Amino acid sequence: MLVVVDIADLAVSRDPAATLITYSLGSCIGVAIYDPVAKVGGLLHYMLPESQLAPEKAKSNPAMFCDTGVPRLFRAAYDLGAVKTRLVVKVAGGSQLLDDNGTFNIGKRNYLALRKLFWKNGVMIQAEHVGGSLSRTLKLDVSSGVVTLKSRNEEVPL
Amino acid sequence: MSAVLLDDIVTRIGRLSHLPTTVLRLVGIVSDPSSSLAQIVETIRYDQAITADVLRLCNSAYFGLVRKVESLDDAVRLLGTVKILQLVMAAHTRALLSRPQEGYGLPAGALWRHSVGVALGAQLLARPMRLTQLGLLFTAGLLHDIGKVALNEFVAREYAEIARRVAEEQISFAEAEAAVLGFTHPQLGGRLAELWNLPESIVLAVRYHHDPEAATGEQTLVDATHLADAVCLLMGVGGGDDGLSYRACPAVLARHNLTEPDLELIGADMIAELRAVQALFESY
Repeated sequence: MLVVVDIADLAVSRDPAATLITYSLGSCIGVAIYDPVAKVGGLLHYMLPESQLAPEKAKSNPAMFCDTGVPRLFRAAYDLGAVKTRLVVKVAGGSQLLDDNGTFNIGKRNYLALRKLFWKNGVMIQAEHVGGSLSRTLKLDVSSGVVTLKSRNEEVPL
Repeated sequence: MSAVLLDDIVTRIGRLSHLPTTVLRLVGIVSDPSSSLAQIVETIRYDQAITADVLRLCNSAYFGLVRKVESLDDAVRLLGTVKILQLVMAAHTRALLSRPQEGYGLPAGALWRHSVGVALGAQLLARPMRLTQLGLLFTAGLLHDIGKVALNEFVAREYAEIARRVAEEQISFAEAEAAVLGFTHPQLGGRLAELWNLPESIVLAVRYHHDPEAATGEQTLVDATHLADAVCLLMGVGGGDDGLSYRACPAVLARHNLTEPDLELIGADMIAELRAVQALFESY
């Protein structure tokens, strides 16, 4: 069963038949987490780094921002029995346009916000595929925890 | 490919696919600064098919209106003229823009979704850019990639070479189009817009949305279209294969005193509005 995680959205599952997938990550970031013991997986597709940009939007849709979406993702996984120290964390996205001045840098800011948040909370990223000018699709198989990354028609495990 | 071939394509495509008459009429109204919202309503009123469309959209599940909307005046009162204009334009470009564009890696529906996203984004830029012609902004955004519809089959044929140049030479997809085909989808789109007698400001927005610095004449609509396109592609909306291989123009931000957070807010609002429009058409 394919569970599609839309932009500014998240999903968690412990259904072994489920595959969580999110398409077209541009400057947005996809965060996949998995507890191999509890066999609980979660996937977030956030758009922007900080909720202070639009607090009401963050309230109605926390998955839109890094600082509100990531805690929400982790808590939802804990609710299904995941344990923080066991979580395997994988990250993809944060693309940029071709821009020599780096002015349109939402992708970079998105990634830095995540690094900062994880550093503060002692979370390690086990694998990542970020930056460049790629459109990415990120997929998490809940029964095995295998995370797959697709870009430019190439599919590789992350 | 030579310039002679560009002319051939323009003539051939221009004859084959064109914008619905209603869209052309509405474009004429929104691009005239002296026109009023009342004129938009009048144009719709005398077209029974469109009036029926508007009523059907208004009565669709998405709006969840308690009472049935029975007349165009009801609809305008409930949604406002700008919203009605958006719906009519989006509905009437849907058939043309929803075809799959294999050359660009766009499945069915993706180019329409992207076009509506850019239209909404351009309109949202009205506030930070202090612009008033909402209908014109929406229209420029909606039609900016019209050249892709015409160029798709040629890009598809040369796709391997275009993709190779994008990957190896770190150039944009449009720059690779120029290198391999001799011209780009914005150039072709601009020619089509001329052929269809679209207003000059829309022709410019279509032609220069990838390269605002090259535009001559009225720059504002070009700039808004470029920014809305950039934001939409960053957010991953209907970019296809070429999406992020897009040369962003920082001078546009400086020209309008816009900052990165301004763009982020546009992105957040655009996604929310696009979701609403899509939900509407799905239930339609």
